[in-house]
Amino acid sequence: MTDASQTRLARPGASRLWSAARSILRDPFAVAALAIYLALTLMAIFADELRTHDPTQILFRANGRVAANQPPGEAFLLGTTNLGRDIYSQLIAGSRNALMVGVTAAISVAAIGTLVGLLAGYFGGRVDAFLMRLADVALAIPFLPFVIVLSGFLRANTWNVVIAVALLLWPNTARVIRAQVLTLKGRAYVEAARVTGASDMRILFVHVAPNILPLTFLYGSVAIGWAILTEAAVSFVGFGDPSRISWGFMLQDAFVSQALSRGSWNWFLPPGLAIIAVVIAGFLLARGAEEVLFPKLRS
Amino acid sequence: MSYVLRRLAHSLFVLWAVVTILFLMFRLMPGNPLAAYINEQLNEEDQRQIMAQFGLDRPLYQQYAIYLWNLLQGNLGMSFFRREPVWDVIVSALPNTLILTTTGLLVAYLFGVLAGAWLATKRGTLAEGVIVPAALATRAAPEFWIGMILLTLFAFTLGWFPSGGANSAGAAYASEWDRIFSIDFARHLFLPALTLALYLQGLPLLLMRSTMLEILHDEFITMARIKGLSPWRITLRHAARNALLPVVTAFALGLGATLGGNVVVETVFSWPGLGRLLVGAVAQSDYPLAQGAFFLISLVLISLNLLVDLIYGWLDPRVSHD
Amino acid sequence: MPRHASRRAILGGALTVSIAAALAGSALAQGAGDPIRKIVIITDTQGAMPQAYQAGQLIAQEWRKLGLDVEARPMARQAQTDLVWFNRDKWDTTMWRMVGRPERSDPDEMTFNLFHSSTAPRGFNFVGYNSPDYDKVAEQQRQTLDPTARQALIKQAQEIVNRDAPYAFLLHPNTLQAFNQNVFDPASIVVQKGVGIRNFWTFIGAAPKGAQKAMIINSGTALQAIHPLYIAGAPDSWMNELIWDRLVRIGPDGLPRPWAAESFKFVDDKTVDIVIRGDMKFHDGKPVTIDDVIFSYEAPLKTDKSPMFKPFVTDIDRIEKTGDRSLRMHLKRANAAFATTALGRVFIVPRHVWEPHLKSLEGKPDTLEAIRDPANVGSGPFKQVRARLNEEIVIERHAEHWAAPKVDRVVLRVIPNAEAVVGMLRSGEINLLSEYGGDPDVLDKLAKDNAAIKLTQVTDVGIEFLAFNNRRPPFDDVAFRNALSAAIDRNVIVQAAWNGYAVRSVSHVSPAIEFWHARDVKAPPTGLDVAKSILDKAGYKVEGGKLRYPAGKKEALQPPG
Repeated sequence: MTDASQTRLARPGASRLWSAARSILRDPFAVAALAIYLALTLMAIFADELRTHDPTQILFRANGRVAANQPPGEAFLLGTTNLGRDIYSQLIAGSRNALMVGVTAAISVAAIGTLVGLLAGYFGGRVDAFLMRLADVALAIPFLPFVIVLSGFLRANTWNVVIAVALLLWPNTARVIRAQVLTLKGRAYVEAARVTGASDMRILFVHVAPNILPLTFLYGSVAIGWAILTEAAVSFVGFGDPSRISWGFMLQDAFVSQALSRGSWNWFLPPGLAIIAVVIAGFLLARGAEEVLFPKLRS
Repeated sequence: MSYVLRRLAHSLFVLWAVVTILFLMFRLMPGNPLAAYINEQLNEEDQRQIMAQFGLDRPLYQQYAIYLWNLLQGNLGMSFFRREPVWDVIVSALPNTLILTTTGLLVAYLFGVLAGAWLATKRGTLAEGVIVPAALATRAAPEFWIGMILLTLFAFTLGWFPSGGANSAGAAYASEWDRIFSIDFARHLFLPALTLALYLQGLPLLLMRSTMLEILHDEFITMARIKGLSPWRITLRHAARNALLPVVTAFALGLGATLGGNVVVETVFSWPGLGRLLVGAVAQSDYPLAQGAFFLISLVLISLNLLVDLIYGWLDPRVSHD
Repeated sequence: MPRHASRRAILGGALTVSIAAALAGSALAQGAGDPIRKIVIITDTQGAMPQAYQAGQLIAQEWRKLGLDVEARPMARQAQTDLVWFNRDKWDTTMWRMVGRPERSDPDEMTFNLFHSSTAPRGFNFVGYNSPDYDKVAEQQRQTLDPTARQALIKQAQEIVNRDAPYAFLLHPNTLQAFNQNVFDPASIVVQKGVGIRNFWTFIGAAPKGAQKAMIINSGTALQAIHPLYIAGAPDSWMNELIWDRLVRIGPDGLPRPWAAESFKFVDDKTVDIVIRGDMKFHDGKPVTIDDVIFSYEAPLKTDKSPMFKPFVTDIDRIEKTGDRSLRMHLKRANAAFATTALGRVFIVPRHVWEPHLKSLEGKPDTLEAIRDPANVGSGPFKQVRARLNEEIVIERHAEHWAAPKVDRVVLRVIPNAEAVVGMLRSGEINLLSEYGGDPDVLDKLAKDNAAIKLTQVTDVGIEFLAFNNRRPPFDDVAFRNALSAAIDRNVIVQAAWNGYAVRSVSHVSPAIEFWHARDVKAPPTGLDVAKSILDKAGYKVEGGKLRYPAGKKEALQPPG
């Protein structure tokens, strides 16, 4: 696939994007990934219509007792938690958080990474040296400990996860895009643009940038997964945002409430499966492009 | 040689930058470092004294200078709560973490490399259609989720493995080596290492598979095929050897990255390691301890990055012109 | 719906009151002040303390029915203490707790420290309760040595607190613990009032039935220091009090009893005579002498090198050696709780180990707390084998102790995963569940399915409560506090948050300490109707669905950010 994309990259601009989109639609894995994203988006948009209860409300049974540990059934589609919340409604509500965190993280990583990669690759010299030193520093900071420290000292907040993802995960994107820009710089159509007197900015954003957009999207989609997984890990360790229903929050809740000892698989499995589905979608889109997972190997 | 020196200087620069970020991160965070010290014993004077004892009452630039000077001497400071040198506290947790991480990684890479190489020869088959998504799924699942499911099945339900810890209660050994090579330790290590391996195997598997695919298309393989060598010999002799380099690199880098990310597995399996130490220290605002643990993880990460760079420079002279 | 009907009746009554007020000249429109700002209830996070989190949510649901805008805001422990403790005028209400400890079996700490105005600026009175009446009673009970007279004062203190509602008392949780009765003779497991089975008397008294002679217990958090002069977390203290002896120990009945002291006697209000046992040895074989005991008290008393233990000896003026086994303490002031709070707290440390350290620290800012005795020599019934603070602590029986334990060793395992703790109890990897933060029903089911596991349950000395910030309007108004307290349905909280494993609380003195708990102090009446009528009488009105201050009162504060 790498070979193929190299040759395709030669074509400039919009046609390149279009052909990338077409090749994605031919890959059944990629179609599955898009279907997952679509389902997640619809779930998040229509969360209020889809859910059957308020996900944070304590529910009571007809006899006035809290509806705790109810099995899945008609009243509660996936049953209730040990404190009487509806699991299905929490699952639905969690999709909003997943979408929000995932998309913001993806946009930040892709935007920072692309910008840095473009500038470093195109201008080279000191700009390149400086930006790549910055990337080295970011890569030398252990990721999960950084998120934990950030969440532990600032008020526990989902945005800390997004900030950490944005601050530390852009270098991978930047390096790959920089390498790509280096090869593009010498291409005929870029040279041609330069000869006609186009400004640097114009060359960079009109002639070069569209050609690396597919890579940007690829990295963005993987970042969605990282952000959601990180949020879950941070929640599990106890530094999650306590006022927001996320899948990580649900899993941590199930864990500390000993859902497994009680055999409440209806509580423990769904959020985990939901996370897997969304994260795997990013991987499927990036399938085959292993430098997405590990760019350093290919430099 | 100058390449080595340049990489070394570069790594030192990165280390300095990380150390500085670390310092600023811990000193500029909002919140009172003594908030965890709530008890009837602590009045205002005591608080002031503790702040002075740890140098927190000095201006920031002085604290920074002292911090750097201490680091140069290998002094990570005193833990707020344990009243012990941070170094001693960390060293007690380090072996367990290193062993868990390397075991998990080794298993993951051994499996991933073999399965990946095999899958490369099965392009377009049903096996690929099943195994690749399965490998991706374990990679995409939260570690603690997998860990809890394994724990429930193999420890609580079947009773094959202990439910947590690194050794049986009260087990005594003549030396640290005896402990690490005991059957008891291995039994305790099994589930956490398996969890980690399941989480980590996706990368080497996919990496090996796609590198192999590329190499199998290369000319020298075609040549070998023309020469009439058996497919297995081609795979083993030529392709695998060439494909291993990126995988070995990924291993070294993965070691650094995983070392810091173990906290989740350590919590599920009550494994007494560095990650939990860090989380505990952050929860209590034990700055020196949290900072020390963080520093050590960064140091390992940077050293391994350097090592990978050097290996690359050694194997592939072109890199040094980069 | 009888409940509805009665509410209407009360509302009717309230209406009459307000009509009367209107007739008296203040029109209804002028009859109300500003709308009350959004009220924030700070709670623990669901992960850290699901019960308190749930309680906070339940309270918010009730208060909203009064016309208040309420937010239940979960906060991480660290952020919560930072706000509540160090920014005392910046919060409205918070879920809070006093945990049960053996020395809290004497009501002095809960009575004096929590509510005396002197501890309001920086100490335990973080709500800023200020009542000269109460201060007087709290001081008096401390000076009153006669138990019956003191009992009356403690009761009076409970009544005042009940009337003024600086807190909304919610409940005393039941401590759930369990042990394996195939391993230990159930008759040898001691239940200490307000503390449970994980207590000193169980550690020395538990009798193994078979080959398993080690007691294996659990802690959810790592330990910080095994150290006789340093006070760290709870599990650290379980170990410390087994390794080092005290002159006095708190008995299973919650009352102090002589231990290393053969006897202690108040000669008068301010003089105590103490005789120590003659058969005590440190773990290194040296005898425990009267000089060791005097050193142990004088180190915090005469130097500033043991700051954490200084508060325990502040009542002592000087110590006089009166014989080979006897000493006399002269006190600065009478203190009824002296036996518990001083004699029952200070550890006897070997002078030959600690005096040289003390000398070496002269003129330096460091304290003894930063100094380690790697062997941790004490004279208690157990001696340290090894201490891996993140993993496990192993202590073994000190055979030469005059009350040597029956088990060979105690192993404390650090297990952060509550789910794993249950698995371990089932499999025998631990055999006494010393701490349990998980779901009580899970434990209950385990004990029902497994004949070896015996569950124990005691009401805690500790209290769960909702603290009002008495400094901030509208919580500076006794009526408002009483109304909000009345609106809380404690039965629902006991059931829906604590799964029924708790008893309702009426004051700061738990029924676990029977002698001091005033049985006839009744909880004030509760219910939404009661709350509404209190508010109404105090001039708070609901207009447009929003509760407003009494006439003329402006809202000057912002909700905490």
